[in-house]
This record gives sequence, C-alpha cells and structure tokens, in this order.
Amino acid sequence: MNLRRDHVAGGALILAGAGIFALSTDLPFGTLASPGAGMLPTLLVGFLMAFGVALFARAGESPPLADIAWTDLPHAVRVTAAAAAAVALYTTLGFLLTVGALLFALTFVVERRPFLVSAAFSIGVTTLAYTLFGLLLKSPLPRGLMGF
Amino acid sequence: MDRRSFVVGSTAAAAALATGTAAAQEVYPSRAVTFINPFPPGGAADVVARPLASVLEPILKQPMVIETKAGAAGQVGAQFAAAAKPDGYTLLVHIVSISGFAEVDRLYGRPVKFTNDDFIPIARFIADPCVLITNEQQPYKTFKEFLDDVKKRPNDLVFSSSGLHGALHLPMALFMHAAGVQMKHLPTNGGGPALTALLGNNAQMLVSSIAAANAQRKAGKVRALACFGDKRAPAIPDVPTMKELGYDIEYYLWVGMFAPKGTPNSIITTMRDASRKAAADPKFAEAMTNLGQDVAYLDQPEFKAFWDADAKRVQEAVRLVGKV
Amino acid sequence: MDAIFDNLLLGFSVAFRPDVLVYAFLGCLVGTLVGMLPGIGPLAGISLLLPVTFGLDATKAIVMLAGIYYGSQYGGSTTSILMRIPGEAASVMTCIDGYAMARKGRAGAALAIAAVGSFIAGTFGVILLTLVAPPLASFALRFGPPEYTALLVLGLVFLAYMSTTSLVRTMIMAITGLLLGCIGIDVMSGHFRYSFDIKELGDGIGIVPVAVGLFGLGEILSTPSKSVVGKVMPPRFRELMPNRQEWRGSAMPIARGSVLGFMVGIVPGSAHIIASFLSYAVEKRVSKTPGEFGTGAVAGVAGPESANNAASTGAFVPMLALGLPTGPVTAVLMAALLIHGVPPGPQLVNEHPQVFWGFIASMYVGNLMLLALNLPLVGLFVRVLQIPYAYLYPLIIMFCIVGVYLVNSSIVDVWIMLIMGVVGYLLRKFEFDPAPLVLGLVIAPTFELSLRQSLVMSSGNWTIFFTRPIAAALFAVCGVLLTLAAVSYFGRRDWRERLAEAEAGEKP
Repeated sequence: MNLRRDHVAGGALILAGAGIFALSTDLPFGTLASPGAGMLPTLLVGFLMAFGVALFARAGESPPLADIAWTDLPHAVRVTAAAAAAVALYTTLGFLLTVGALLFALTFVVERRPFLVSAAFSIGVTTLAYTLFGLLLKSPLPRGLMGF
Repeated sequence: MDRRSFVVGSTAAAAALATGTAAAQEVYPSRAVTFINPFPPGGAADVVARPLASVLEPILKQPMVIETKAGAAGQVGAQFAAAAKPDGYTLLVHIVSISGFAEVDRLYGRPVKFTNDDFIPIARFIADPCVLITNEQQPYKTFKEFLDDVKKRPNDLVFSSSGLHGALHLPMALFMHAAGVQMKHLPTNGGGPALTALLGNNAQMLVSSIAAANAQRKAGKVRALACFGDKRAPAIPDVPTMKELGYDIEYYLWVGMFAPKGTPNSIITTMRDASRKAAADPKFAEAMTNLGQDVAYLDQPEFKAFWDADAKRVQEAVRLVGKV
Repeated sequence: MDAIFDNLLLGFSVAFRPDVLVYAFLGCLVGTLVGMLPGIGPLAGISLLLPVTFGLDATKAIVMLAGIYYGSQYGGSTTSILMRIPGEAASVMTCIDGYAMARKGRAGAALAIAAVGSFIAGTFGVILLTLVAPPLASFALRFGPPEYTALLVLGLVFLAYMSTTSLVRTMIMAITGLLLGCIGIDVMSGHFRYSFDIKELGDGIGIVPVAVGLFGLGEILSTPSKSVVGKVMPPRFRELMPNRQEWRGSAMPIARGSVLGFMVGIVPGSAHIIASFLSYAVEKRVSKTPGEFGTGAVAGVAGPESANNAASTGAFVPMLALGLPTGPVTAVLMAALLIHGVPPGPQLVNEHPQVFWGFIASMYVGNLMLLALNLPLVGLFVRVLQIPYAYLYPLIIMFCIVGVYLVNSSIVDVWIMLIMGVVGYLLRKFEFDPAPLVLGLVIAPTFELSLRQSLVMSSGNWTIFFTRPIAAALFAVCGVLLTLAAVSYFGRRDWRERLAEAEAGEKP
C-alpha cells in the first residue's frame, strides 16, 4: 500500500484523540441531565477520532504523501527558529533589543539582504514601532532586565 | 512612562545591578511604583486603583503605573505580585476574593500557589457591604416573604453569581447555610452577566454589590431584601441587615493594597503614610462617591485584623460550597 | 416621534460643540489605529486611554472612548486584507476573501468596500439605537442561556457552509477548535482542563493568538520570499476604488450584514466575531456563486465587515437602555461612566439626557468622520504591498509578536501564537482550512456554559430548549437548514456520487 496524504492526517487525528482521552480521565463525565467537566471534551474526542477514521478510510482518494511539496520547509524552519528565539528573549531583553535583533536576523541572515540596508531597516522600524506602541499608545511593552 | 522617569528607572536598575545593596539605602520611592490590577480594566480593583494612583503621585513624587494582569478571577495577578521582588516597586490592589484561592486549590487537591501569608497588608480603602436582591417579577417585598417561599420549595429558585467560588457566590453560600435553605446555582462569568441573568429572570436571586445594584433598584427593576453589613448602608437605609434579621453574617466587597512578603519595613511605613494621606484626599473621596462608595480606610493594624476575620469567613464559605 | 426629534436636537447641540467634536475625532483616530494594529484591540485601546479621561466631563469621556470602540471595527479590516493578520478578533473572516482579493490586485477595492460597509452598518445601527433602543433592550433580556445555546447551535449548523474544503475536513477543524476551547477552568465545576499547571491557560486559549498564528504567521511560513514576485500597483485612485460590478455584489451583503450584526450585537454576552462568522456563512449560503468564496468574493468582505460594525453599535443597546454590559468592552465603557459619576442604568436617559443624547448624536458624526478618515487612507495602505516581501514579512512577524503580547501582557499567548503558526503551516500542507477551527474556539466556552446553565435552570429537563419561544424558533431554523441540506444532498442524484464529489472538494 502506497502511503497517502490522508493516511497521515487521519492517523495523526486518531493518535491525538487517544492522547487527549488519556488526559481527560480525571474529569467527571456527569449525567446527561447535569453534564460534568469531562462530558463535552469526551464527546468531542469521540467525534474527532471518528472523523479521523473516516479520513483514513477514504485516504485512497487523496494524493500520495510524496506529492506534498516541501520546498518551502527550510525557509519556514529558519523563520520559526528566529521567531522562537525572539519570543524566548522578549521579556528578558526587552522590546527594543529583541525586536531590533529579530528584524536584523530575518533580513540580513535569512534573506541575505545588504548589511547596511538590513541594519537601517531594523533600527528604523524598531524606533517607529516603539514610538507608536510605547510612546503614543502608552502600551506596556516589556522592558527587560536592563530597564529598557 | 515618560523619557525622564525612563532614564531614572534604568539608572536605578543599573545601580542595583552594580552594587547589589545600594538600592536598599536609596530613598523609597526613587522610580515609578507599579500597582498590579488583577482584574480586567474597569473592574472592581481598577476603579479604585486609578484614582488612588492619581492622588498618590503628588504625595510620593513618583509616577504610579497600573499594570493589568487579569486572569483566573484574580488569581493570576495575585500570584504575579506574590512572586515579585519585595522592593516596594510592585504592589497589589486586590479584593475580598484574595483569601479564597488557596482554599479552592486545597479543595481540588492542586498545589497551593500562594496564601495570605505571602502578602503584607498595607491599607484598606473601601468596603461595600453586599446586598441580597430579587427581580421585579418576583412577588417578594420583604426578606420574610422570600424566606417563607424559599423554605417551601427547596432547590427550585435559582440564584446567579459572578462564578463558582466567586466574590458574589460566597455570601450567598454563607446565607443559605445560616438560613438552612437551598437554591440552585447559576454561575456566570462576571458581575455584569450575573445581574443580566437576574434581570432577564433566568435567575431569581442575586447577592450583588450595592453600587452595581443601586441604579437598577432606583428604576424599580430589582428589590433589595437584606444587606450584609454590620449596620445599615447609607445608600439603602430602609434595607435591614442580616444581623437584624437574626443571622450572624457579614460580607463586604472591599479593596485593599498589599505588598509581597519580605518587603522592608521602612518601605511599608512610607506606603502606609502615603495611603493615609491619599485616603483623606477629597479628590479620592469624590472619585469613590462617583462609584457609589464611601471611603472606608483602615490602616495596617486594623486592616490586618479585619482581613484575618474576613479570610476565615471566605474560607468557610469556600468549604461550604465544596467541590462541585 | 417629535420627542425623539427634540432629543436628537439636544444631542446634536452637544455633539457639535467644538470640544466634543475634537474628542470624538480623537477617539475615532485612536480607534482606527488600535483596530489596525494586530493585538491591540478596542479593549486595550480604551483601557489605555481611560486614565486620560479623568480630567474630562462624562460626555467627552464617553464620546471619545466609544469612538475608540466603533472606530476599531473600521480599522480591523486593514491588516486582514493586506497581510492576512486579523487586526481585531472580529476581522478573522475578512482575512479569507479580503486577502484573496488583495492577491488579485483588488486590495484597494476590498479596503474601500470594508470602509463603506462599516459606515452603512454603523449608521444603520445608530438609527435603530435612536428609535427603538428600549423595546429592543427588553427583547435582548429574554436571551437567556437556552436562547444562547440555540444561537450557537445555529452557528455550528452554518459551519458546513463556511469552508471550501470537504465536510469531513471542515468538521475535523471545527471539533479541534471546540476542543481547544475546552482548555482552562471549567466555569461550572472549577476543574482545570488540559492546562498542565500553566496558570495563564486557566482562562483558556485566546482567539487573537490562535487567529494571528494560523492566518498571519502560517501564511508567512508557507510563502518563501523567492516565490513572491513584485506586484504592479494600479497607479490611479480610480482604479483603487471598487468597480461597478463589485459595488453591485456588495450592496445586499452590506444590508444583510447590518441587520444580522445588529441583532447579534444586542444580545448580552455575544461576541462580534460570531456576527461576522454568521454573516459570512449566510452570504455563502445565499450566493449564486458559492465557489468564489475563499478566492476573493467581494460579498465575503462586505458582509462580515458590515456585521461586526453593526454588532458594535448593537452592543450599546443593553448598555444604554438597561445599564448592562454585553461584553468586556461595554463593561469598561460603563466603568468609565461610573467613574465620572454617571451611573449607567435604566434611568440614564432621564437623569443625564445630555450625556445620553450627546453620545448617540456623536456616533452619527463619528461614523462620518471614520469614513472620511478611512477612504483616503486606502491609497496609502495599498502602498504597503509595494514593500519588498523580504522586508514586509519580518515586519508582519514583529507585529504578530508585539501585538499578541499586548493583549494580555502574556508571553504564553505569544508562544501559543508561534505554535499555531506552525500548525497553520502543516494544516496547509494537508489541505485543512483554519477558519472553522477559529469558529469552534470562539463557540466552545459559551456553548458549553449556556448549555449547562440551561440544564441547571430546568433541573436537567431538556424541554427547556423547545418551550421558550425564541429558543424554539432558532432551533426550528436549524431544523429547516439541516433538512434543506439533506434534501439537496441526497435528493437529486445518487448520494454516493455526490459524497465522492464533495470529498474531492468540488462544488455540487
């Protein structure tokens, strides 16, 4: 049997359903007349797994898994990594440093734009955003350990 | 935060980093003080904290910042404040429900995130007794008519609340226990929705704050049957207290200021003095009058005594409600 | 009628005072801005400016703060159309067809239609508010938990019309959304569900992080910069504006969206996002060319954008007539009135006619200001698309992170956004549509709460849903829709064939 797209999707749903079900054991189901905290999640997991089975069963009609193009994956991974690093550092380093570094990393490192253009862009946008969010709208931007 | 205080803040932080103890010898406060508001904007703590902050600023000569950390009915903000550095720059403005979280966590077998001992009380600013109200579609004119009816049909009437174990649920639980009556509980997600449920007659009874109920009462949409204060409230002088009616129940929606445990005494003293002056400021009194409240200021020793007694009531009410 | 005329005259005499005009304009300006910036919604905007109003009188304060609220509904569509990030939760639906229109070079038309639709819906809402607020408000009060359950079931039935993918895929996404909506403290029983001791998850997963992640970040991850070729912008203003056919295609959706949005808006506890979802589904249901939806149907922008504006005006009905909040934003507005010594309640119109009518009149003026503010900006905003993609998408990611953080000052929200971005990327690979997931997430907590509240009220008797007239009527509509769907599905041809066809994603 040829592995197809919906085999993977359906299988993942069935596994996810089983996982959530295992997490729900401490939630009381209640009765139909007075549903407990666990009733809706349990019913939903049931439906999710049923639809997962439906997807799996009809997977023969879906395109083969190998047909999915992953050419954008390296880019997606780089962008996600840069964003994740920024999120991790956001509250420790504060708004100005993190956002400036993020923009620079994306334009200079990921997109390989000229150094000076990237730097000017990052500094300019960070300053503008700080003026807009922080000074004009007075919103609480994270200040970080160094106080800015 | 303006540029000047921004610079002041960063140099102070840099100094603290450099010498470690230097900050403790500085004059407090040397930079902006943050109040944690654990409820959504416009909520019970926010409407007191904002006018308070504006009268405190000229007294302390530093900006006061209000930071909203809402979530889990006030637990997120309280936990944030409990974990904050006890340097006097992060203070908490919280309400009566602060005493209940630990008890609820114990009830459900969850790790207790903080207790009242994690906070140093500084001052109480208002204390609004709750009031038992019913909607206009119910026949009850007096508390007695209601009591006779509810005794005849246990678990038939419905009362709404701001949420399970919430600030408006607990007084009803105390009352039902004291009077030996049963009603069905309709939890909603806030004081506004609870009042909406009452007015739409999806619930028949509600314990509300006087401030929230008074506009509806004046319009004849709700009737007040009993008040939870130790004496009658000036806004509703014709409504008897629970004590007059023979029940030993008191319950207030109060708002107070707290510091994290370990905050140096000198800082607490500075803040107590500032709070006393702020509470006496006519501008603050006017802001409270606008809310339908009177300033009910208590300094630390009295507030501590009040809070201890209040926490006992709250914890008892949580246990009465139990795990649902 | 005369009385209303006199009252409006009083209102306009207040609203046209130069100082009041200035504050109305400020409110509308800030509203447009916070609506446009993702993350900062009307709630954050109003709370940030609340302290500023302490020095003002009650009329100016409420005029300015309310301007932020309805102004944000205008601005919300901008980033949805240009960058596929919902600037405001209620603009999620605009991301789908608005962004598709932008890719076809009709960004200007989409923005203009959103602005005009918002204006018509907003003005329609204010007219209804002027004429029939008190009777409407008492109608709204009859919306208890059973009625709300029925409304949400109707929303779930409409789900089937929402997506371009097959029914099985749509249902899987909706159920996933509903499951995500179960995360957090169960309001009825106090249990923590799936929150793994992360206290920020106690209140559940926010709509903004999920929507921004799935739509905004997900789009970026699946669009590497090499594949983006610079688009040539139509140079003239005329070509930026909608053409005759686009105007014609949006007239009825705007009308329907206005009525529908207003009706949903007056219900206490409802969210505007439900109004825009319902409007989108209705438009797709009545459309002669439902296949166009998802590929840049003008009705898919006009309907939801009008609906969310009408809903924001409708939300003032219970607040002004009864003193009851319909949601967090009106709750803050009520607090603002209270702080200024004007207690909101049924007596507001008698005790403070200046505030009441001045406020209403200012909304007529404010909607005009917003139109005048937003239409000329269309030309400016479209230029955003001329920024080279290699610089545009870092900008979008910055907005996603900063905006989502600002909603609750919570870094957990930002992580959720990031995870949802990756999920959105994978969903695309496997051809799932994220829109039903967002609707499921919106509906789940309220649906479960109102269902269980209804059962508390009736002591577990299910007939409560059919003995209350409004609930019964809503359920009847659900029944009719399901029957119609079943008839058209099984009726004409062999249903197996049609099922196969629907599975393949083709339009029957």
